[in-house]
Amino acid sequence: MDTLLMLGNEAVARGAWEAGVQVAAAYPGTPSTEIVTNLANYDGVYAEWSTNEKVAYEVAFGAAVGGVRALTAMKSAGASVAADPLISSTYTGICGGLVVVVAGDPGMSSGMTEQDDRYFGRISGMPMLEPADSQECHDFVRLAFELSETHDVPVMVRLSIQTAHQKSIVRVGEQVAVARKDPGRHTDKYCLLPRFSRPLHASLLERIARLREYAEASPLTRVEPGTGAFARIGVISSGAAYISAREALPGATFLKLGVVHPLPLEAIKRFAATVERLFVVEELEPYLEEQILAAGLTVEGKQWFSPLGELTPERVGRGFFAAGLHLPRWAEQKAAEDDSVIPRPPVLCTGCPHRGMATAMKKLDLDVHGDIGCYDLTSLPPVSHMHSAVEMGASIPMEQGFARAGGSKKGSLAVIGDSTFLHSGLTGLLNAVHQRTNVTVLIQDNSITAMTGGQTNPVNEKTLAGAETRPVDLAGICKALGVEHVEIVDPYDYEACLDALKAGLAFGGPAVIITNRPCMLFPRKVGADGVYGVDEELCNACQQCMKLGCPSLHHTEAVFKNRHKVEVDASTCTGCSLCAQLCKPGAIVKAGEA
Amino acid sequence: MSAQKSETGTDPAAEHYAGGVVDDIMVVGVGGQGVIVAAAIVADTALLHGGLEVKLSETRGMSQRGGSVSSHIRIGTQVIAPSISPGEVDYLLAFEASEGLRRAPSVVPGGVAIVNTQQIVPPLASSGEYSYPFDAIARMDDGSRRVIAVDGDALAAKVGDLKVAGVVLVGALSTHLPFAAGTWEQAIARNVPASWLEMNLAAFAAGRGVGEV
Repeated sequence: MDTLLMLGNEAVARGAWEAGVQVAAAYPGTPSTEIVTNLANYDGVYAEWSTNEKVAYEVAFGAAVGGVRALTAMKSAGASVAADPLISSTYTGICGGLVVVVAGDPGMSSGMTEQDDRYFGRISGMPMLEPADSQECHDFVRLAFELSETHDVPVMVRLSIQTAHQKSIVRVGEQVAVARKDPGRHTDKYCLLPRFSRPLHASLLERIARLREYAEASPLTRVEPGTGAFARIGVISSGAAYISAREALPGATFLKLGVVHPLPLEAIKRFAATVERLFVVEELEPYLEEQILAAGLTVEGKQWFSPLGELTPERVGRGFFAAGLHLPRWAEQKAAEDDSVIPRPPVLCTGCPHRGMATAMKKLDLDVHGDIGCYDLTSLPPVSHMHSAVEMGASIPMEQGFARAGGSKKGSLAVIGDSTFLHSGLTGLLNAVHQRTNVTVLIQDNSITAMTGGQTNPVNEKTLAGAETRPVDLAGICKALGVEHVEIVDPYDYEACLDALKAGLAFGGPAVIITNRPCMLFPRKVGADGVYGVDEELCNACQQCMKLGCPSLHHTEAVFKNRHKVEVDASTCTGCSLCAQLCKPGAIVKAGEA
Repeated sequence: MSAQKSETGTDPAAEHYAGGVVDDIMVVGVGGQGVIVAAAIVADTALLHGGLEVKLSETRGMSQRGGSVSSHIRIGTQVIAPSISPGEVDYLLAFEASEGLRRAPSVVPGGVAIVNTQQIVPPLASSGEYSYPFDAIARMDDGSRRVIAVDGDALAAKVGDLKVAGVVLVGALSTHLPFAAGTWEQAIARNVPASWLEMNLAAFAAGRGVGEV
């Protein structure tokens, strides 16, 4: 057997391939993206970037109903988007195995919330496995396909960003051959009309009961005997929190849970009887703790371990220290960073096609309802101009509600990217047309799903699988929905951006503006189209160009009227020319034309 | 995979890691500088050496957008967590001077900080609210840790291209860890395009020269 250093997400993909997965569908979302990216590289696996997580779930579900093993993967917010089929498919069950990977983001490295996805197990009934490292990612996914078919239910594999984005050693296995099962025709199984769904709910409860019996006796429910001073301390934990707890408190006795729904409560009770003091270490909500308390046990948990953010080894260690355990390693809180150093938040790249419109919207002082994409970085300094950016597809309907509330004096609009518009913006725009709500929508079309690292979407000419396909016509779609004012604009032309915004806002009905420059990074890095420089004599340090927040513009030592003059970093300038357009004294010129 | 033996037949890594020593290595920089590739080279070197446990925690968040990034690598006979706890970094490899200063408190007293002299001023400096620490390396070198400044750009330019500056820094780190040069070179070959291998190996050798000083 080979031994490889694998990302948790890579190990999920490998485990799924070994288990004979044939269809994988997802919408990209940190920290789950690499699962389907990797599956696309395996022979014999059909993998796609679907238009959204609900669609992806249904494609995978349909494949499983069709008799093959299928997988879908999503971030926490994606699980909310897919919640409808997630819950319904647990009632119906499957034919071929269906594995649903949900990667959460405690600490919100990139997520909008840090929702605790374990509750999806309880709300749907879907069994849930939680791996702690890459080996378990690999092994649990293989097992999840078996459990799915044995118990006729989709199985969730829940990851935390810590598990998804760490690399550890994996002993991989061989691929098993899995033939397609006969899907038959089962009206009473897959048609959720009341007369069919009532018995299916009863059947689901029976399936959960059998799965609880499985969890009680499973090797995934594992007691790890302790040694030394902490051997009588019992810790119940799972996933990333288990790794942190093992690092923080070596020598304790652990009950390591691999099945987190349904919980093996009898095993937990037996474990509790063997220790003097019982802790539960879990990220986010007291999900385990409340069920353990409800089972009549005494347990310590959230009073020591915060429900906020990622539970790092240090934070778990500090919790045990606060609980009175003698742990010199965690006796003092240590600084990880020198907070006095200038912060370096992510910024829009040099030449980013979002920058021109962001600057124009700020200039016009518009209320901007954003969506989910790189343009949200304009809510941070130095641009700092965005009113809302909440969830996928929110911008257009929120702008409608905002308009119904009276709008704003200087104007407001919705801003959304190409991928997000196709994910869940279309229905919002259709609503505006139908309701005759006067909104302006800016589609920042950079022709890729950029923020997650450059995945294809329906505006592209190729699919993830590499097949040629017909790119969608965004302007045509908007017109077909009934939008009468649709304007395409070059976002590198600042005056044109201002004019397009003014025209859109002035139009008496739903109006759409679409920008037409590609992402600087994906699908390939855009090279420089000429380079700009600053004539220091002419620069009057007016700072207009610095409002762009371009990483290639820097202050120099030279000062005019107490303000620093500016230089262009020629090694990174891409020649988008926005700074030159904003430069009133004409100091910024194309290199060689000074 | 077999452990690389030195010419005398002993395995310096086996001796070094016996007794439960874990080396905690943090690579930091600005998104787009190649931090992830450098971290992969370090981790693969330990993996290729054989007989060791290696864990790596990848940069989180929007790393490609010019933000502050870090990768953690932990090497030993038994490693539990993939992330390094504050104040426990044995080797800090900073691709950018102010990023080195930012993470300096995380280095264990007496630890090693290898810092590229390159300075990348973030756009936020234009706000006037913050100023960029042009004296970052001098501030790091306050006696709490051993600071090794490396002009990665100059050395990379000398071997042919600024893009290999990251591997110069890996070279400077390499002499501090108990792995043979050949193992490092194999790991580099795994992580860079074949057409760039020769220049990367030259960059590694140039960095190795600095580390030995």
